[in-house]
Amino acid sequence: MVGMSVLRSAAAFAARLSPLKSGNNAANLLSRTIPRTDKVAVRWGHGKKLFVIKPSDYYDRRFLHLLQYYVLLTGVPVAVFVTCVNVFVGEAELVETPEDYEPEHWEYYKHPITRWIARNVYDSPVKDYEKMMAAIQIEKEKADTRLTQLEVRRHMRQKGDGPWFQRPTLDKGLIDYSPKSTPDN
Amino acid sequence: MPADHDKGAYPEPPRQTPAVDKQTALPNPALILSKLFYYSVDLPVTTFRDAVDSFRANNKSVYYHQKFRRVPDLIDCQEGDYICYYEAEMQWRRDYKVDQEIVKVIQERMRACHQREGASYHQNCGKEIQQFNEVTKNFQSRYGDLGAYASGRKCLMKQKERMMAAAQAQSA
Repeated sequence: MVGMSVLRSAAAFAARLSPLKSGNNAANLLSRTIPRTDKVAVRWGHGKKLFVIKPSDYYDRRFLHLLQYYVLLTGVPVAVFVTCVNVFVGEAELVETPEDYEPEHWEYYKHPITRWIARNVYDSPVKDYEKMMAAIQIEKEKADTRLTQLEVRRHMRQKGDGPWFQRPTLDKGLIDYSPKSTPDN
Repeated sequence: MPADHDKGAYPEPPRQTPAVDKQTALPNPALILSKLFYYSVDLPVTTFRDAVDSFRANNKSVYYHQKFRRVPDLIDCQEGDYICYYEAEMQWRRDYKVDQEIVKVIQERMRACHQREGASYHQNCGKEIQQFNEVTKNFQSRYGDLGAYASGRKCLMKQKERMMAAAQAQSA
């Protein structure tokens, strides 16, 4: 009799619970523990899992990843090379030029890579200077030639007897002087 | 690392710190801190430097300071002698760079003096300040507003203007 009332009260209690709530299915209705609110461990470890809706960052991250990859592909070997040069070869020291010694043009630089470039890639500054002066000399001669040409042309035009301003005429030997050759004609 | 000064030429005066006369059994914190600094900073840095120097020992090289011959100036060139113009122009450009470096050196001296003296630099750095002012005034009057396309010819014309102004000021 008492069991019947307990069962009836339990059924009434279970009927009052909403079936849509997720914790209220029949499997754990009777066996679940009552949550003790005074003994809950307060940790913000997980929190509620949210599905955050934001635009895709796949393309941005892919771009940055590829950028990093291609920059480091040559950047890291170059950095390693320059570090090795600085550690194992080292920079030059400044000394007084000894008497009667003409240093080579790359011996005026400090860093070993600059010295290598000056020795193997670039022409010496003396050669560049001479090349520039040769170009200036050629241009000067061209300008002088043009001026003299104008001068000569002016003279020939004026006097009319130079090789440049000749008009082709008939042969003088073909002129027939017979009408005026005697005074009685 | 920059080399230390010549100890034979500038000998340090004999140390006048009194002998240590410890009257307490407590350790000296200054000594502890100095030893700490030595073992944590000084020793690793010095050993690293020595290691790197031993690597570099067999690859030593030297470099020299290039001295250029003097060539005739723009004034001493014939008119139309473009080669002479070019050489004078290159010499003027080298001199311009040298003058810029001179101004930088004087400026560095004044800043060092300012740093040393602290708040009383107005009073104690008079010589450096006067030198700096003079050098910058001269630089300004010679190379002042020539601009990025400065050349020996423009500098010469500026000098001519200066001389004309001076002659006018003198005659007026």
